[in-house]
Amino acid sequence: MNWQNIFNASLLYATWRSATPIIYAALCASITQQANILNIGTEGIMLMGAFTAVSTSYLTGSWILGVLAAMVAGMLMAFIMAIGNLEFSADITAIGMGINLFAIAFTKFLLNSVLGKSGTFSDPAIDPIPRVSLPFLEGNELMNRLFNNWALTEWFVIVLIIILTYVLYKTVWGLRVRSVGQHEVAVTSVGINAKLIQYQVLLISGVVGGLAGAHLSLGYSNLFTENMTNQRGFMGVAAMFFGRAHPVQTVIGCLVFGLADSIGARLQAYGWPSQIVLMMPYIVTIIVLAISMMNKKHRENKVKSALA
Amino acid sequence: MKTDNRAFIVRILLTITISLVIGAFFILLIGESPIEAYIALVKGAFGSKLRIGTTLAGFTPLLLTSVAFAVAAKAGAFNVGVEGAVFLGALVAAYIGINWTFLPKPILLIACFLGAILTGAIWSLIPALLKVYYNVNEVTVTILANSVALYITSYFVSGPMSAGGTVSQSHPVTVTLPKIMFPSNANAGLFIALAITICLHFYLKKSKYGIKLSFTGTNSLNAEYAGMNPKKVIIYSMMISGALGGIAGCIEVLGVHGVFLNNFAVGLGTNGMLASLIVKNNLVAVPFMAFFLATLNAGAMGIQQNTNVPKSIVDTIIAIFILIATMDGIIAYVKNRRLKKTNKTEVTR
Amino acid sequence: MSDYIIEMHNITKEFGDIVAISDGQFNLIEGEIHSLIGENGAGKSTLMKLLFGMYEPTSGDIIYKGEKLTHHTPKESIELGIGMVHQEFMLIDDLTVWENVILGSEPTKGFSIDASKAKKEIQAYIDKYKLDVDLSKKINQISVGEAQRVEIIKVLSKGADIIILDEPTAVLTPQEVDSLFVILQHLKDDGKTIVFISHKMNEVLSISDRITVMRQAKYVDTIENKNVTPTMLSQMMIGREVFLDNKKTKPKENFTEIGLKVENVWVPGDKVISKLKGVSLEVYKGEILGVAGIDGNGQLELEEAIAGLRKIEKGSVYISKNETTNKTPIEIRKKGLTYIPSNRNTRGLNRQMSIETNLVSTILDEERFSKSGLINFKAIKENALKLLEDFDIRPRNPELLTSAQSGGNAQKVVVAREISHASEVLIASQPTRGVDIGAIESIRSFVQSASENGVAVLLISADINEILSLSDRIIVMFEGEIVANLKSSEANEENLGVYMMGGKLGGFAELGEELHNEDR
Repeated sequence: MNWQNIFNASLLYATWRSATPIIYAALCASITQQANILNIGTEGIMLMGAFTAVSTSYLTGSWILGVLAAMVAGMLMAFIMAIGNLEFSADITAIGMGINLFAIAFTKFLLNSVLGKSGTFSDPAIDPIPRVSLPFLEGNELMNRLFNNWALTEWFVIVLIIILTYVLYKTVWGLRVRSVGQHEVAVTSVGINAKLIQYQVLLISGVVGGLAGAHLSLGYSNLFTENMTNQRGFMGVAAMFFGRAHPVQTVIGCLVFGLADSIGARLQAYGWPSQIVLMMPYIVTIIVLAISMMNKKHRENKVKSALA
Repeated sequence: MKTDNRAFIVRILLTITISLVIGAFFILLIGESPIEAYIALVKGAFGSKLRIGTTLAGFTPLLLTSVAFAVAAKAGAFNVGVEGAVFLGALVAAYIGINWTFLPKPILLIACFLGAILTGAIWSLIPALLKVYYNVNEVTVTILANSVALYITSYFVSGPMSAGGTVSQSHPVTVTLPKIMFPSNANAGLFIALAITICLHFYLKKSKYGIKLSFTGTNSLNAEYAGMNPKKVIIYSMMISGALGGIAGCIEVLGVHGVFLNNFAVGLGTNGMLASLIVKNNLVAVPFMAFFLATLNAGAMGIQQNTNVPKSIVDTIIAIFILIATMDGIIAYVKNRRLKKTNKTEVTR
Repeated sequence: MSDYIIEMHNITKEFGDIVAISDGQFNLIEGEIHSLIGENGAGKSTLMKLLFGMYEPTSGDIIYKGEKLTHHTPKESIELGIGMVHQEFMLIDDLTVWENVILGSEPTKGFSIDASKAKKEIQAYIDKYKLDVDLSKKINQISVGEAQRVEIIKVLSKGADIIILDEPTAVLTPQEVDSLFVILQHLKDDGKTIVFISHKMNEVLSISDRITVMRQAKYVDTIENKNVTPTMLSQMMIGREVFLDNKKTKPKENFTEIGLKVENVWVPGDKVISKLKGVSLEVYKGEILGVAGIDGNGQLELEEAIAGLRKIEKGSVYISKNETTNKTPIEIRKKGLTYIPSNRNTRGLNRQMSIETNLVSTILDEERFSKSGLINFKAIKENALKLLEDFDIRPRNPELLTSAQSGGNAQKVVVAREISHASEVLIASQPTRGVDIGAIESIRSFVQSASENGVAVLLISADINEILSLSDRIIVMFEGEIVANLKSSEANEENLGVYMMGGKLGGFAELGEELHNEDR
């Protein structure tokens, strides 16, 4: 096994590329988590977004419309969760799983009946998210491989992380969201409509989740496969737990998963059985999640200890 | 209590009707006839002895996986990992069934089941421990772990345990469950599943463990205070849940396929979860809902074969079921509207 | 029509089947301190929540400066200048004092919050009313008294002219109550109007201009403070004469056997001041040891550590010479512990289960209730019927869910379960909190009778009067340590209050001297 062929510069970009869809998913889950709503439906929102983006892009020839449609679809999914949980007291995990299952079934149905295909859908008429070409990098091979030709959404996710961090921690709305997450009654007692804020975080989360899906099907790849999210939404949720719903901290978890994914792909070239390789990101995610929760518990115990 | 039951049944029937109506709407949207589709559905499930048998064959494992989910859910744990338990339990059962030929047939049969039970229980033990001691969200862990289980079994059955050939499957097992309603896949496992369900129902109703389960699932702080050891209850329930999944997998190997077939059980755990969620984990209602879902799934093939409607419409309808069924508050909402009209104030939640 | 700034006429309020107010009347004169007094469950808190807009009245009118208010929300009340300081603090632990204060009316600079402007404005209030608050601390780092002052700043900074305080002294020591009254006087001098909700007569008599009495969801009367005596007031509150003397009639002596021994325990706590740091105590069989102290000074940690619900990091606990340190809750119960927990709804009961099931939840292992793992439902029902009679629990339906019961009756379920079972040690923590007066008397007598039966009783209560009236001996907890140990005959409200605040007897004499020296 040639280590240099595995651990080289292009692994860095491969990691970033693998991680980006998961970062979007993690941001989607973090937004609602700050208001103490667990968005287990992230996976389903993302899948709906992915399908909507591809089919709209295919039908209209425009990636922009595809992305916008995906964001609307995501918002609709989140809206169903919001109504169910906030108006009709549906358990958030149950309705989240409902959304996930609905997305798998409905995207398959639409794929079969509207697009007339099954399994995978790929077509030259699908307009993908454009890549950002930076000609001034072409001189330096390393920089070129690392930073040139990123999909637009791979750049945008960085902007999104910054915006979300600012909004959550520096603005009025962010303060209110975090307050609702900690002590809803206190918020209502000062005349703020907590339910409105809960709706807002869910809908915004839906938009980001839809965007996550659009990136997956039009940026990361250029097709739609049944169940293509393949639990990336859940990895995003795991990253959210790991990063305590802080936009910047969740990125670390996503990068770890991306790394596991990319290394795995390379190991396959060395004859590692495909199933072992495919397992790796999932196992890594579980281990990272478990370790981060254990650490959290130990830290909490230390703080609470009378002997400290 | 009686009126509660009646209200419950009415709600389920209402939910079914609404979902079928929404499904009909989608069918119309793609230019097909809902009536034709639904007739094809019923025919697909019950149209002939073969079809009835197929429906029963689908019902058997689904019954177990839905009860599996329900038991853990009553303790407050969402064991989405039942699917993984099914696969791994099946794998171990297959291994034993293929290789432990030194055992006499009846003992070998029991050994297969025991292996599956143990495997399923241990598989669900890990997320249970993580949840109970470190507050790790079990939904996230078990869903990810399902993929791991799938890949593990897939690896074995295309590698070390493979029988060769193009289809990934193991060698045949040397002991099987007798088929009933030949030539369908319905088998004696049906009776095993039914027996287990009935026993479990009475066990939960009459035993100390059953009371502890109810207490733990509704208020674990009080359960801890009362000395019921909710941590143990949750772990125990998850293990039962996994064990039931293992049994389902074992039945599929020994009763339906006779081999371990790659990817044979995709969706079994998920459908089981669906059935249970729709009826809010009520153990009396779960078998009926599982049977209903099995009917829908069996009939789905009928829809696809006899009309232009793809069978994914059935999955969609089922998913809509869940979405509506989880909305408890819909009844309270309707009650509220009526009360407001008669000028009284709101019922507090 | 009137010079009243607030009027409430013919108010009723129902929550489903529960009638919180059947006849509510109230009016407010600008610039007065008006107290609303009544027993727990009389409806006074609900009446003010209606005024503040948190709920809507089932019927009746609320009039502000001559205009009727309909369907108004807390937000609108705040805009009108009505502010409310609630009994349970509406503060967010992880945020700072200033962030909590500005929540809902945050000053901005562009898109961000203008932190420096916010802090400046808040400091102005702190200085004007001498409120002693550190605005950059997080809420989980400040004391209860300070938290209450934060709530007052919150209300003032939103422009309140009418300030409603709901049972503000429940969590304060006598000395802190005096400081609060000084603050209220400053506010009144500044032209504010104050509504003071309380069930404590002496406080109400000391600061009010007018007093409105409510009893059992109904309005009784409104009188001027100068025209009323304590006896009159108590008769209005309860409808019959109540003996105000709190002292026990017959103090007990001569205890010989130790029932509960706690030896130098160190127990983790959620807040720094509630961690137990080397607590020791002994309770003799037949004795009632009262643990006085403001909530949050380690009482919860103490009761949970003894019961096995919290880890004991160092030290030991013995029940009748058997060590029970860090054993499981069920093992400790089997060694002779019964326990009325401070939190009825989360720990004491499962509100989604029936009365009869709750009555046996701690003793399922007993032979009469379960044999070889199977439950004897008949025995459970018989047990429930007997206990419902003996302890006068309403309603008399064992299959009813405990969520349908009033606070007092639900508490009686807990008490019945814990006291009817023979034991060596009984922990009774906040046994009459949130309970109506009829039930208070009977619960206290049950606790008393337990000690008369030879049980070692550890009584933990934030209610000084309860401690004084039931205990044989009293200890005081402050910041996770025991700071005083005295016979009940030596204890009174004043010295207990001093200990509860961390002072030492003779401490205020010294403090007085210091102040005197500063003035020079």
